[in-house]
Amino acid sequence: MSDAPVLRVEGLEARVAEEDLPILRGVDLAIGKGEIHAIMGPNGSGKSTLAKVIAGHPGYEATSGSVAFKGENLLELEPDERSQAGVFLAFQYPVEIPGVSIANFLRTAVQAHLPEGEELDIFDFTDMLTERMEMLEMDPAFAERHVNDGFSGGEKKRNEILQMAVLKPKLAVMDETDSGLDIDALKIVASGVNKLAEEDPEMSVLLITHYQRLLDYIKPDFVHVMVDGRIVRSGGPEVALELEAEGYKTFEEAGAAS
Amino acid sequence: MSDTMTTTMTETIATEGVTDALNAAAVERVSLGEPEWLRERRAEAWAVYERTPMPTTKLEEWRYTDLRTKLDLDGLRLSESETAPDDPAAWPARLRETMEADHEASGHIVCIDSHVVHTDIDASLAEQGVILDSLHDALESHPELVQEHLGAVVPAEDGKFEALNAALWNDGIFLYVPANVKLDLPIRVTRWLSEPGTAYFSRVLIVADRHSQVSYVDEVVSDDFADPSFKSSAVEVVARDGAVVQYVTLQRVGRGTFVQSAQRTLAERDARIDTLNVGLGASVHRVDLNARLLGPGANSEMLGLYFGDGSQHFDFNTSQDHIEPNTGSDLLYKGALDGKSRAVFRGVIRVHPGAQRTDAYQTNRNLLLSPGARADSLPNLEIEADDVKCSHGATVGELDSEAKFYLMSRGLSRTQAERLVVLGFLGEVLSRLPLGGVVEKVVGVIEEKLSQHG
Repeated sequence: MSDAPVLRVEGLEARVAEEDLPILRGVDLAIGKGEIHAIMGPNGSGKSTLAKVIAGHPGYEATSGSVAFKGENLLELEPDERSQAGVFLAFQYPVEIPGVSIANFLRTAVQAHLPEGEELDIFDFTDMLTERMEMLEMDPAFAERHVNDGFSGGEKKRNEILQMAVLKPKLAVMDETDSGLDIDALKIVASGVNKLAEEDPEMSVLLITHYQRLLDYIKPDFVHVMVDGRIVRSGGPEVALELEAEGYKTFEEAGAAS
Repeated sequence: MSDTMTTTMTETIATEGVTDALNAAAVERVSLGEPEWLRERRAEAWAVYERTPMPTTKLEEWRYTDLRTKLDLDGLRLSESETAPDDPAAWPARLRETMEADHEASGHIVCIDSHVVHTDIDASLAEQGVILDSLHDALESHPELVQEHLGAVVPAEDGKFEALNAALWNDGIFLYVPANVKLDLPIRVTRWLSEPGTAYFSRVLIVADRHSQVSYVDEVVSDDFADPSFKSSAVEVVARDGAVVQYVTLQRVGRGTFVQSAQRTLAERDARIDTLNVGLGASVHRVDLNARLLGPGANSEMLGLYFGDGSQHFDFNTSQDHIEPNTGSDLLYKGALDGKSRAVFRGVIRVHPGAQRTDAYQTNRNLLLSPGARADSLPNLEIEADDVKCSHGATVGELDSEAKFYLMSRGLSRTQAERLVVLGFLGEVLSRLPLGGVVEKVVGVIEEKLSQHG
């Protein structure tokens, strides 16, 4: 991958907005085109905060450092502009939107991704949605349900993957996509991500996870360990195996020493 | 000494709300040419009005709507407009546009100010005995039907405004559906108000005979008025055994008007009366709705939707009276409030002794879109039977910032995200009574209001 990185995070410090509570304390990370990275870390290490800062969650503010996406300063963009630029965040806790069907929501989202003045053809959209749902082996009736309203944990995560399949991002950040899933649901979700990665080899993926088990189903090219708001170790897939063998303790001590 | 004081107080109360325009002479004028029984009714209603004190915030039912600041009866005059021709070309453009946005109907009535200017009804329905007419014409053509029900459902004795309306009403609509006749398409009523500073009094009487079926949609539209106006209505709905009635009212008047509506529905054995009150316009909108489940097996779904902005004030006062066994009622009122607008919901479910196996529900949900908006919700239960299923609930919430971020993270602008959340929230009400034309209009007005949301 000789291209410039798709995502470049440098010296990023961030805190909960309006609170003097630093969470990210100098994160450096570069993700190249088509690469799959995983960030692992114990609870409270800041890995989900990194995902939210990349997507522009208003509850967090970057106090120092930079986040560049395809050379553009992401931190200056609103969340919708980041999405339109090609960033996608699969939520750890997808939000329920009562009264709004998935089809209606996705149609509005796809329309928002079109260049200004261009009108989405409703029939083209319906065809595309049907095709995407077939690819993910989803029941077409799913699109008529209200967004995440009364969904099981597995349905919520599958809905995230469906949105990703429809919006076709250039960078997908998956925030603890494995949390709350049994092994069958995890396999379905992982297979969706793999299909999308296969379909678009240029799509980059950042997996945020606490556990190794997700990485049994989505194979990362690089693994980073985050402790206390910093990345303390980066390497290949072997890092995840080390972690599984030794736990976070060694890294936490290393983090504390640095 | 104490005698004098008492006398003085009585006099004060007796004259409350009697003005240069609203007085016994006006009642006399509006009665001219009317049958004797109606003239007597009006006179009796006026007497009730005179002796009934103006409601104050000391009364629970008026606690959050202070009439002293919100309604100036002294400044009002009665409608003076001549009747308009029965010709759409002569009507205001906004009235025509409102009607053009409607879907098909079984019949229409058009009211301009205090006059019914147009009536039509499908010829085959007329042949089957369906009557759609102005109350004045119906008084002549079907006196016995009108006399039986008019003022019997919402009597003058109900309160100050009910009495005032019963004494001074000057236009009205009468709809009668004979036994076993079912209307496939709704009756559509469109009203246009054009006189600032005016008090309007109108009535609606709907009688659906045994096993008949009808939907009725009443929409009122006006521009903003600089001079405060007052629109009063009394709505009487009777569904005989097994009849099905849908009553929808869509309030889209401009700012400057106080809209007051007293509604009562009587559902007899196995009858069903569903109502939908939509409040979008006006400065103040007050609804008193009482659903009475009078016969075993009677049902009523009671829906309400409101969207306030600026300094709009909504006040919904509802009651569900379960009088016979095996009756059901399900109320859902939902509103969004922006700016400094305010909504009050006060609802009571009353299960009368002997009304066993009642199913009664009541839900009020409010969505605050700005820090200056406010909603007060006061649900209540009075249960005097032991084998019943009743529940009530009320919520006041803010626009969920997490939901907004979620939608924006999919590319939706802040405005689009808010629009989707608000329409989804309110859409639950419309999806329960999805009458063609109504949904599009309501969504249209809400979108317009949301586009002004700062």
